[in-house]
Amino acid sequence: MKKENLVFLFILGLVVASILVIINKPTKFGLDLIGGSRLVLEARPTAEVPQITPEVMDSLLYSIENRVNAMGVAETVVQKVGTNRLLVEIPNISDPQKAKDYLGKTANLEFKKQVKGFNGQETWVSTGISGKDLKNAYLGTDQTGHEWHVNFVLNDKGSKKFGKLTSEMVGKPLGIFFDNELVSSPVVNTPITGGEGYISGNFKREEAQNMVNFLNAGALPVPAVIIEENSVGPTLGLDSLHKSEMAGLVGITLVMIFMILYYRVPGFIANIALSIYGLLIFAIFKIIPVTLTLAGIAGFILSIGMAVDANILIFERTKEELRIGRTLYAAINAGFERAFTSIFDSNMTTIITCSILYMFGTSIVKGFALTLAIGVAVSMFTAITVTKNFMHLIFGAGELTHPGWFGLKKEEIGKAISFEETTARKAKLGVID
Amino acid sequence: MTNPNLERKNIVDIVKYKWLWLGFSLALLVPAIIIMIYSMIIYPSHTPVRVGIDFTGGTMLQYGFSKEIKDPDISMLRTNLQKVGVTNPVIQTEKKSNKIIVSDKTTKTPTVQQTNASIKSIVSIRTKFLSSQGANNETIKVNNIVKQTLGEYVPLQVSAIGPTLGKELFKNAMIALLLCFFGIIGYLTIRFNIDFAVCALIALFHDAIFVCGAFSLFGLLFGTEVDSLFITAILTVIGFSVHDTIVVFDRIRENSKYLSKKKSFNEIANISVNQTLARSINTSLTALITLLALYFFGGSTTKDFVLAMILGIITGTYSSIFNASVLLAMWREGEAKLTAKPA
Repeated sequence: MKKENLVFLFILGLVVASILVIINKPTKFGLDLIGGSRLVLEARPTAEVPQITPEVMDSLLYSIENRVNAMGVAETVVQKVGTNRLLVEIPNISDPQKAKDYLGKTANLEFKKQVKGFNGQETWVSTGISGKDLKNAYLGTDQTGHEWHVNFVLNDKGSKKFGKLTSEMVGKPLGIFFDNELVSSPVVNTPITGGEGYISGNFKREEAQNMVNFLNAGALPVPAVIIEENSVGPTLGLDSLHKSEMAGLVGITLVMIFMILYYRVPGFIANIALSIYGLLIFAIFKIIPVTLTLAGIAGFILSIGMAVDANILIFERTKEELRIGRTLYAAINAGFERAFTSIFDSNMTTIITCSILYMFGTSIVKGFALTLAIGVAVSMFTAITVTKNFMHLIFGAGELTHPGWFGLKKEEIGKAISFEETTARKAKLGVID
Repeated sequence: MTNPNLERKNIVDIVKYKWLWLGFSLALLVPAIIIMIYSMIIYPSHTPVRVGIDFTGGTMLQYGFSKEIKDPDISMLRTNLQKVGVTNPVIQTEKKSNKIIVSDKTTKTPTVQQTNASIKSIVSIRTKFLSSQGANNETIKVNNIVKQTLGEYVPLQVSAIGPTLGKELFKNAMIALLLCFFGIIGYLTIRFNIDFAVCALIALFHDAIFVCGAFSLFGLLFGTEVDSLFITAILTVIGFSVHDTIVVFDRIRENSKYLSKKKSFNEIANISVNQTLARSINTSLTALITLLALYFFGGSTTKDFVLAMILGIITGTYSSIFNASVLLAMWREGEAKLTAKPA
């Protein structure tokens, strides 16, 4: 019995640890449950940047991250997917449209000068000074305090270039372009050598603030187009969350009732193992952490049904062993040993499917595959180790005095078996010939 | 010497009535295949099931309204949408009897401002992929038209998949399906034998075809669309069906070791199926219980996904009891005949 007590203490320790984790760590819910936007942006090559290299992606990631952070929403995610895509997740936003406009804007600031073309018309040409030469930008107003300005500070290199340019351009208009649109074209009065200036353009406060944010976050090195969007309003998200909780509770309760009705005392033990399974799973979800999505919860609920699968296989086998008159202790051991191969094989196939789903699936599918795989792995532990331990602790090594405990009838128990005819090895495996 | 497990009367005789069991499967599969072929002819996408925006690319917008939306409103919305160039929008309405209750208890986020939004009807619009950025923002246009035609709404959901991405997702889903089949057949060949693996695979195809056929029919009747979650459901069903098949096969393998001298393979198969009958049914039953709970109480977005799994698990249980072992017995019988008279 010593080994069994040790295992029991180990299980107890795990349960306590899981409860502590569950209390102390927050659950991560997916955007489909709390509401929010999930966007996939794809980088598009331009004439200047004909190829999307990892470096281009890094700088795109950096700019998009800056913009997302500037939105002031907690727990946002920006990550690279594949070679030319970014995944952006923004929870709890009331207006996804604003976010989309904001993220996709190239935000390219350029200073241009006018030159006369061949046909005598004035055209704007680049001066080589752009948003890249900026140190930072901040919000400001004019002297009257009525009109909003975007103040900018150039870096050292930019200041020098800007000083040189403006000294050549006294009396001429300087075009300030934002994403190839002319914002304003003030006439240069004196050379600007301090590297500071402002952009005015009849801005509303919000517009000016946006431009400040854009300039500080940096221009996108290449345009980024939204190719996938999943936005869920908070109303639907909450509704789904409540419904999933309900479905989970109903599912667990019904499975537990079934187990007790059909398998009696072992069924009750399996239910305890199932509860421990639930605790362990939640603790693992929180430690990794797994983001719980609707499909993920479905995977978890399905894994409850699968977790008791192993127990059903074991109990059926144990019942068989009892029917042929094996002692209680031997029957329980044989039940576990003989059911193990089919449990292992069937769970391996599930793990195979889950890993393929994880490799090729979309993020929704990935969530489902991950929770199901974790569920299957943990259920191997709870359904086998935990149940076996409890069975031995409760039933001990005695005779089967109450066949009803296993849902068996007394007359079903065959006493006619003669062990001389069966070799010891076969008897251990539970095979009678 | 008696072994009560062996002497117990067999509940089903799988070998004797093999044509009945296989015939029942064929009676299900033949119509399923016909429906899928018919769908492949009539759908512009030439797919055996009606595919959703996940695979074709497109935009799905869902709005909640606090009033009832009637059919004339919908046809008006359709004409208004077509006026701005949204061609052939698919519009669906759904009445909500139970109110969506929004409580602040579960969200620890103060930014969620919607309180007590009681939604009576839900309108979904599905169109080609709409741009949602820049000057020509089609999504905003559609939003405005919905507001003008039907009044104030609560935005429930937006999903948009770019057309090239749709193709990519479809390709990935097909690769995943194929890999799963190969993965399972490979594993079973290693753990059992090639004949076990092939019979299990036929049972898997049986289940996959049945579920696809059922959804093909739903697509024709109710316009049910298949998304990437559906592929997941098929794969899960496959995994589950293999579970059941393995339980039976494991028993056949075990019994063959000790009984092969006394009994024919047909008898062994029969005994094994009957010995494992209770567990085959019970394991599927517990999974079915949880799935039914998900179907009736769970979120609406995963409903079709769960339905596919329910159908798949039912056929999966049938196929592993009545197809896989029957086929295996027939295979072995054929093999025995071949070795008996080498022509």
